[in-house]
Amino acid sequence: MVCTGRRNSPPGLLRGLALAPTLAATSLLAATPVVEIEIRDHLFFPPEIEVPADTKVKLIVKNLDPTPEEFESYELNREKVISGNSQTVIFIGPLPPGEYPFFGEFNPKTAQGKVLVK
Amino acid sequence: MLLTSVLLILQETLEAALLISMLAVVALHAGRRLLWLPWGLVAGGVLALVYAANMQQISEWFDYIGQELTNALLQLSITLVLVPLAWMLGRGLTAAAAAAPRPGAAALSGYGLLCALAVMLAVTREGAEILVFLGGFLGQGEQTQAVLVGSGIGFGIGVSVGLLLFSALLPLQGARGRWVPVILLALVGGNMLSQAALQLIQADWLQSGPALWDSSVWLPEHSVAGRLLYALAGYESSPTATQAVCYLAGALAILSATLAGRRVS
Repeated sequence: MVCTGRRNSPPGLLRGLALAPTLAATSLLAATPVVEIEIRDHLFFPPEIEVPADTKVKLIVKNLDPTPEEFESYELNREKVISGNSQTVIFIGPLPPGEYPFFGEFNPKTAQGKVLVK
Repeated sequence: MLLTSVLLILQETLEAALLISMLAVVALHAGRRLLWLPWGLVAGGVLALVYAANMQQISEWFDYIGQELTNALLQLSITLVLVPLAWMLGRGLTAAAAAAPRPGAAALSGYGLLCALAVMLAVTREGAEILVFLGGFLGQGEQTQAVLVGSGIGFGIGVSVGLLLFSALLPLQGARGRWVPVILLALVGGNMLSQAALQLIQADWLQSGPALWDSSVWLPEHSVAGRLLYALAGYESSPTATQAVCYLAGALAILSATLAGRRVS
């Protein structure tokens, strides 16, 4: 997965985004970076994602398990049910730099992840 | 899975249970009966079943933000239902009305209908999430028992806390005492409008802004007190300005409606 698609991005930020393996391709016109996360066997893949600071990001969460999951994060103020074998979209940010943990509320012991905002 | 089920079902049950308790107390204070309660519960249960059964399709609406829009609509509707209800409550808060409460004959007229609607909307949203969870994990072999037992415990605690609030509010009499559940209802109205705004921010229909404050160090949302305060009054450790404005607007709308109703009577 590669990243493109930020209009008028500073070159350094664009390079940083391109290095992040989790950023998915978007259309050249789209201003919002897209990041993909998968849920497999009640685990998030990748468990850590990196996103740019002060930027709205579109998370695409694909649940490859047959069972439903709920993406939840107190730090991100986000909560969304994702049916089994389906995908969804969650917008996060703009956020200041920091670590923002998230978890699967239906399987909180295993489904743990983190958004690293840099 | 046992603890997960307890916490999840408790969290979803609590918010609806607390709202139902407040509505029941103000109804009884106004000399009304609770005929609307079973109607609201049944209608909410049926709608929750419909919502849960179609969760995937609904989620895909409007490019995967159908769930946010549905939840925002349910939460906004709760606030909109509470405003006219507060106006009627205001009329009942006057000394004359309190001295001679109207009999519950018209329990399913306007007042009862609004109470039933508020219960229905609350149960629909919270119930759908419970049903999605149960539908997903009840058939999972050895987990079934843990999910069932955990859900039963979570539901039981949620209902018990609701009953506790009910029994704490009911004895509050007099002009001042009767304001307490009304103020709590105002907080619920503010909370619902704030949560609706958060759903629209999550769907990218409303702009997000920086957090107004961060109280997660003193009172984390996942602590027992944090969860209880969230269910009771919508506590969030790092809300945005949009959420705070919506919260105040919702709460003030309900308080103003109560005062306006009081003046009319």
